[in-house]
Amino acid sequence: MTQAQPDTTATVSDPGSRSTEFVPVQGGGETTSAASLLIAAYMLMWGLLFAFVFLSWRRQARVETRIAELEKAIAGGGGSGPQ
Amino acid sequence: MDHADLQPYCPSTRFSPVTGTRDKVFYGLFAATAAIFAYLIGYIFLVTPLAQIQAGGLAQKIFYFHVPAAYAMYLCGAVCCVSSALYLYSPTDARDAAARAGADCAVVFGAMVLGSGPLWAKKAWGVYWTWDPRLTTTLLSVLVFVSVVMLRAFAGNGEAERKFASALGVLGTVTLPIIHYAVVMWGGNHPTVITKTGGGLRHPAMTHALLVGFVAMTLLAALLLWARTRLALAQSRIARVEEHAIATGQID
Repeated sequence: MTQAQPDTTATVSDPGSRSTEFVPVQGGGETTSAASLLIAAYMLMWGLLFAFVFLSWRRQARVETRIAELEKAIAGGGGSGPQ
Repeated sequence: MDHADLQPYCPSTRFSPVTGTRDKVFYGLFAATAAIFAYLIGYIFLVTPLAQIQAGGLAQKIFYFHVPAAYAMYLCGAVCCVSSALYLYSPTDARDAAARAGADCAVVFGAMVLGSGPLWAKKAWGVYWTWDPRLTTTLLSVLVFVSVVMLRAFAGNGEAERKFASALGVLGTVTLPIIHYAVVMWGGNHPTVITKTGGGLRHPAMTHALLVGFVAMTLLAALLLWARTRLALAQSRIARVEEHAIATGQID
């Protein structure tokens, strides 16, 4: 099943109908705000960096936990240590 | 119980977080990086002028982080390549850890580049993505580094896996010069404002912001590489301690 192709030749015949229908146009202007793109880019970059630092911090915490478990198991003389 | 044979590997003495002089250097580097980034952000938004609309207008300010992030990706890729090559030549935990850290950080900086670039492109080119030579080669390189990271994360920590990941790390970095010269060799939409003859930054504030961006990203890359290398090294050493402790019957 294919999507229906829009009739690009249609025009808005009645100004009153503008709020009740969407008429495709050729070559519409770029309306994306540069400011919003700029903010999104900076948020994305800082978000990636903080996520990476957070994941590293979590991995570091796991390593320290593992070290503590090992020390405890070795000090305890084995047999009940981590598997 | 005799712990003497474990002393050379003891986690509490060899795997502790950054301490002493290293601690001071690390946090000094951290403070310097934070200060330079604070200065850079203020400078970009308060001092650097807007570029022409064909370059994205206000969105062109993404450039001052986008390009240094790409440079940081090259830097981390180079660390991954050199460490991987050294590991293939003579395997050590430290070389493997540095290679792993290089790949991790290259993926992060690559994601910054591939995330920020399309947002700028939307304003400058009207589309988020186009299969431009530089964009495509950048995506391929980041995917190679992603494959190294995934391999190390899910394929175990054996000698064969390490060597395969090292070979992949060398391969990934070989593609970096192709990215750099892609625009020259094959053209495309990507701008080439940074050239050997001085480039196309037509205001001193633009050049200054870019240079500060390079310094900031270099420091950030150094910090992340340092932290991740130490972490990877600690993980390798813990694995060895566990093997040793199991072999000697200290844990089961």
